[in-house]
Amino acid sequence: MMEILDPTVEATIQPVKFVPRPDSLSGKRVGLVDNTKLNSDRLLQKIGDILVADYGAAEARMWRKHNASVPAHEEIVEELRASCDVMVAGIGD
Amino acid sequence: MSAALASRRHRVADLTEAIELCYAKGWTDGLPVVPPTPDRVEAMLAAARLRPDHEVTYVAHRAVSVTAEKVAINAVMAGCRPEYMPVVVAAVEGIGDPRWSYHGPGTSTAGAGVLIIVNGPVAKELDINAGDNLFGPGWRSNLTIGRAVRLVMRNVCGSRPGTLDRGTLGHPGKLSYVIAENEAESPWPPLHVERGFRPDQSAVTVVAAAGPRQFYNQLSNTAEGVLTTLADDMRISGNVGQPHYVVVLAGEHMLTIAGDGWTKAMIRDFLFEHTQNSYAHLRRTHLLAGDVQPGDETRRRPLVESPDDILVVAAGGRAGAFSCYIPGWAGRRASQAVTKEVTR
Repeated sequence: MMEILDPTVEATIQPVKFVPRPDSLSGKRVGLVDNTKLNSDRLLQKIGDILVADYGAAEARMWRKHNASVPAHEEIVEELRASCDVMVAGIGD
Repeated sequence: MSAALASRRHRVADLTEAIELCYAKGWTDGLPVVPPTPDRVEAMLAAARLRPDHEVTYVAHRAVSVTAEKVAINAVMAGCRPEYMPVVVAAVEGIGDPRWSYHGPGTSTAGAGVLIIVNGPVAKELDINAGDNLFGPGWRSNLTIGRAVRLVMRNVCGSRPGTLDRGTLGHPGKLSYVIAENEAESPWPPLHVERGFRPDQSAVTVVAAAGPRQFYNQLSNTAEGVLTTLADDMRISGNVGQPHYVVVLAGEHMLTIAGDGWTKAMIRDFLFEHTQNSYAHLRRTHLLAGDVQPGDETRRRPLVESPDDILVVAAGGRAGAFSCYIPGWAGRRASQAVTKEVTR
């Protein structure tokens, strides 16, 4: 009989609260997060335009991450939190 | 000290069952591992004089605290001797550094390995190979230190192939990718000294990197001749915007280049100058978007932002007119090479 140790991390339980999805996009401010990959801004702009034109969103504004390989930086997270009701993040490749 | 080990314990009948359990749990890289028994893990920690709960690094992108205990368990599994532990710890500190920026190289489809370049006295003491068959096989320290780092990425940081490690192709260096600089025979200052350490300090430099690409030149006996061949190959190797290139010059080329009086700085400047592409070429070969614009034929784009982004390392066998270069992964803002001291 022998004992071996687990090499993985035992995840600690953290409560994560999601904001409820809105019933409608009517009048909502949409934040678009461009991850800097080629054409991601064009793709997101197109989506934003559709959300405004067809779903009644109030506006669709874009923010840009530093680069595709890092999480959105704190400054834009704060701005998004303050000025958007819903967000769309996307990838361009 | 045994009581201080906090990891979950699994009971198995014997060695064979232990090895198979590690497979069944998804803890291995595909090769058998050494079962991480408490006594082996304690020996690993003792060699680095670390408490089990010591935080080696915090990987913010994964919200994971990497403790010495988990590093030690994975180092045992990789086959490390206890005295390798300080090198493994320094490398793990490196990949947890915000400049290395874990998420990209740990995940990207571009399939980065963790190139670990060891400098200073520890390399010789641990018999980390700097010569023949530089990238393997044959040396326990080279193969197990890098393997330990990759197992930490897999088991602690969650970079499992197919889930959070999405390398399209990966490369063999993702198993282990450890070299030492041939400081004993090199005519140049070692890499860690160029990066701010003393010669008597030991250090590891971690680079998110593609595989090594060997080039050949046994016709020229001048520095410019050898480096012209290298530059011509390097020039078209990138995906535009690499943060670094590592150039590894082996014995014959090292002597030829140094024999002409060239320093590492001169090598970097020459390569920086001679690896530039025209924008027209990059657009024609679809490495840059868009049609060729007026002026693109003469407008040149360097391979890296600065000559200092080319890391020159003397290593590899004495015989053979071969050396290699290693493209760094992605771009400068996505990941940068990081050097950490090996503390013992």
